[in-house]
Amino acid sequence: MAASGNTNQRRHAIGEFLFRHETILLLVLVAEWFYFNSVGRRFGTLDNTFEIMRHSAEIGLLALVMTPIILTGGIDLSVGSLLGLCAILFGKLWRDVGMSLPVAAVCTLLIGALAGGLNAVLIARLRLPALIVTLGTYSLFRGLAEAITRGVDTFTNFPDSFLALGQQHFAGLPTQVWFFLVVTIAIWLLVHRTTFGRSLRAIGFSPEGARYAGLPVERRIAQAYILAGVVSALAAIIYTARLGQAKADAGTGYELFAITAVVLGGTSIFGGIGTVHGTLFGVAAIAVLDNGLVHARQPREMAGMLTGVLLLAALGAGALPKLLAKLRAPRHSSAPPS
Amino acid sequence: MQKYSRELSVAIVLALLLLVMAVAAPAFYDPQPLLSRLAREAPTLIVACGVALVMVAREIDISIGSIFALCGVCAGLLAGSGWPLIAVFGAVVVLGAVLGAMNGALVAGLRLPSIVVTLATMVILREGLRWKQQGAFINLPDAWQWFGLSQRGGQWALIAGALIILAVLAWASRHLAGGRFLYAVGSNAEAARLAGLRPRWITLAVFVFMGALAGLAALLNVVQSPQVDPKSGTGLELKAIAAAVVGGVAVSGGRGNLWGVFVGVLLLACINPALTYLHVEAYWEKAIQGAIILLAVIFDGLRNRRATN
Amino acid sequence: MATLLELRNVTKSFGAVRALRGVSFALEEGEVHALLGENGAGKSTLIKVITGAYALDDGEIQIGGQSVSHLTPARARALGIACIYQQPALFPDLSVAENIALRLEKTSPLHTVGWAARRTRARELLHRIGAEIDPAAEVRTLSMPEQQLVEIACALGAGAHVVIMDEPTASLTQKEQHLLFAVVRDLRAHGVGVIYISHRLEEIFALADRVTVLRDGESVGTNPVDEINESALIKMMVGREVTAIYPPAQSAPGASRLTLKKVGCSQSGVHGIDLELRAGEIVGMAGLVGAGRTELARILFGLTPADTGEIQLGGQAVQITDPRSAIAHGIAYVPEDRRRHGVILEMPIAANTTMAIHAQIFPGTWLRSTAERQLTLDFIRDLGVKTAGPQAPGGSLSGGNQQKIALARWLATKPKVLILDEPTQGVDVGAKSEIYKIIRHLAAEGLAVLMISSDLPEVLGMSDRVLVMRGGTIVAEFPHGVDAHDVMAAALGQKKEAA
Repeated sequence: MAASGNTNQRRHAIGEFLFRHETILLLVLVAEWFYFNSVGRRFGTLDNTFEIMRHSAEIGLLALVMTPIILTGGIDLSVGSLLGLCAILFGKLWRDVGMSLPVAAVCTLLIGALAGGLNAVLIARLRLPALIVTLGTYSLFRGLAEAITRGVDTFTNFPDSFLALGQQHFAGLPTQVWFFLVVTIAIWLLVHRTTFGRSLRAIGFSPEGARYAGLPVERRIAQAYILAGVVSALAAIIYTARLGQAKADAGTGYELFAITAVVLGGTSIFGGIGTVHGTLFGVAAIAVLDNGLVHARQPREMAGMLTGVLLLAALGAGALPKLLAKLRAPRHSSAPPS
Repeated sequence: MQKYSRELSVAIVLALLLLVMAVAAPAFYDPQPLLSRLAREAPTLIVACGVALVMVAREIDISIGSIFALCGVCAGLLAGSGWPLIAVFGAVVVLGAVLGAMNGALVAGLRLPSIVVTLATMVILREGLRWKQQGAFINLPDAWQWFGLSQRGGQWALIAGALIILAVLAWASRHLAGGRFLYAVGSNAEAARLAGLRPRWITLAVFVFMGALAGLAALLNVVQSPQVDPKSGTGLELKAIAAAVVGGVAVSGGRGNLWGVFVGVLLLACINPALTYLHVEAYWEKAIQGAIILLAVIFDGLRNRRATN
Repeated sequence: MATLLELRNVTKSFGAVRALRGVSFALEEGEVHALLGENGAGKSTLIKVITGAYALDDGEIQIGGQSVSHLTPARARALGIACIYQQPALFPDLSVAENIALRLEKTSPLHTVGWAARRTRARELLHRIGAEIDPAAEVRTLSMPEQQLVEIACALGAGAHVVIMDEPTASLTQKEQHLLFAVVRDLRAHGVGVIYISHRLEEIFALADRVTVLRDGESVGTNPVDEINESALIKMMVGREVTAIYPPAQSAPGASRLTLKKVGCSQSGVHGIDLELRAGEIVGMAGLVGAGRTELARILFGLTPADTGEIQLGGQAVQITDPRSAIAHGIAYVPEDRRRHGVILEMPIAANTTMAIHAQIFPGTWLRSTAERQLTLDFIRDLGVKTAGPQAPGGSLSGGNQQKIALARWLATKPKVLILDEPTQGVDVGAKSEIYKIIRHLAAEGLAVLMISSDLPEVLGMSDRVLVMRGGTIVAEFPHGVDAHDVMAAALGQKKEAA
């Protein structure tokens, strides 16, 4: 049984690589790039590339930490709201409490961990459905941000040294891109090169199976949500630095972009399957589309529409072979006894 | 009564809130603002009923806000070009149903997860609408506002309409075989198949129905103002799902009651005005709404744990 | 009396495994026909053929005197065949009345539901089987036996001529059992044919008219119950020779590894377990399905921790609160349900192999693919796993090879105590004898092995000692070389005089 299909298997492996989600997405990305480069005159410049990176850093961060969560079969709708809340609290700690900016930033990250911890306790410990729990915290976090600012308070006049984080360059790249790179590498290593990522996958495929293998299921799920909280807080600080202000509506709708990028990047919403570089390509595909359409003098809304279509196409491409196989298969299946 | 204890407990919370308002801020019950508030919630109620049925069938639909907006704009445009009310009514309901069918076909036909499918259609429809309208409002013919009735009359008509739809849906989900099929599929799709039902057709049907209700709700929203806002319905899906969850509908399918959803809609709708009248800052609304959702789901979780032990 | 159902020379294979080899079987009107046999004898396959879930490879099925080809589940139901499974397929969120109605009513979606009629019918059907269940109760609030009664009510309401009951009393209390017997007798009185599957001989003698014994996919014989005694039945069931595929013990057992003193767990119904496992020893655990053997394993592995008694490892009292603490104490558990618990089918063999030793093989949590690959290759070689390589997904392996990987995962933890739960279930003969050799080899290296198995020859052939569980506790202990008859009798709860 092993010997007969060796060449077949190799051909199969090559086919699998070609049709692998990430490969196709990368091709789409390259095609996007060349198309916009030929259409828009300023698109391909280094400045514009930096611009794309600058603008996608925050959503990118959220998408990166959404990946481990979706790998466990969960979801986190609250990251965008948490970004808003953390931005506000960061401003509050600095302006009203009088902390120095670095101290305020550390406190903000801690707050992010706490908020993620709330999700973690409810989902991992009490085993409540992630969709509804994070829908609740989605509303709660945003609501707290609005309550703290009374809907109008805006934090501005940050010192230039802080704004440099979001608006200046460092060592040739926009400053926040360095943060993004560090987080990307960290999460890529975490998911693909550590037992943490291995455990998340196992949990996503089969929570019971993971438990029988002695994996710390609750703890791993909880860690994924806490990590999301911390990185959302980091995204909030970068967001504040880029725009030079913190408002309660910061990051509205970002959670949906993040989820879209993750699923577009080939991560299965049912858990287990997915890669961090896939998510990265997903973020890039959306960001390039968004920016490129402007350069191509197309309406910006087209970016959203095309992202949605791309998402459906990605999902459909995954489902279609299964459907066809099912239609072709004989109706009377004889499965072995279980 | 044990069976409806979940719905009753939310109703008691609502009753307590209303009682507090009666004592602390009787102005809450001034007829005209109260009427306006209720009329504004009429479309939410209809959408929440729809999404509750979707959740009963163990699916979810987050594209309803976009369908709602699209149908609203469509109603405005058709009204502007002189279509009679009844024709516009038919057109938006059919449009909503077609958009719902699109979701349903992808979910039931290709077996894709509904959360992602409706996330995609939500973005596509919302952005498509923004592209078409560029945020421009559409003026509604004068005769259209409040269906050509007085404001008061129109508001009463809207509330009555929504309540009738609620009553019909609540009755149908309890007493029509089709309504029960939703519960059966949501409770155990495999058992439903063994019992001779067709779970995939039922899933398709519930999405179509959801779309039609979103279209209808859009119409009830449009007639409340002289202009149609193309951005209307943003966040409506989450509001509706929240109301359903608070009202006792389980995301795991098969459980829930539309009267509970009704109470959930009322409770969430009361928070903002209650805060205003109690001189608490209204900015707390979302936070309180979130806390209520969390409390509801924690409550359900603990109750389920006890039931299975 | 008319023949309701007749099977002639029915054959069914799954790959290399021949589950049914020319079985003939007949069910008469108003008859309770018991089906008896060990696990894996072909009972459940036979049922699935009758209910149309499996297409037969060869042979003929006649229902009501008519030959039926291409039987499907829907067709079988339409022809009046109903099956009550141990795990009922009901709607947990709906009421009992509605559950019954959804099975029986064929209405268009736009029909109104007659709640009063539904409740009345449910009450009547439940009354007919003497079940005191409120038709308005939600099914998920019912106990498992109550849910079975609802299933029976459904079958009754559907006017089934042939009712199949698959170990219906496995989880019933005494009182519920009597109730069920009355229901079965009532069905018989109404001319219904009942195929009754049970391991409990006393039930068969109390209830059945005829009994057919299956063994290794063949029918050993059909007899009227009043012409046969228990002893003869047991002989028919276990008649297989203990063959030479079982490797012999090589050394005397060593020091005590695991000692249980009055261990129990109220949640899983296991109580008063006294047990000692010694290094180098294979202890077989026999018993019927539901006797509490897997539940005992789950206690030892911390999945449902013990709440009474004391567990000692190497003389030290220990607390096992979750699988991680069990693993830390050197206990390994290869679970019964391989596909759900033993192996994660979607993940590569290598990842499955190292899953329980993350901390040891990946110090500092970093994955080390060379070490993992080497370890996996070693196991593939040592255990003789047939696979395309360490990166092949677990689901691509055959049952026997999956089992070897499930075993490899736990051997990698270098355990002191190895618990095997049905180690050769669904495994073909060749792989079976390989697994036996591996187990014996492990014991020879000083591992204490507790082997739970429903395959009696396996237990007898492999074990240095045989323990028998019944009703949540250990009821008998035998040395190696014990007669199959005695073990079966103990598992069935027979008195000594049957021997």
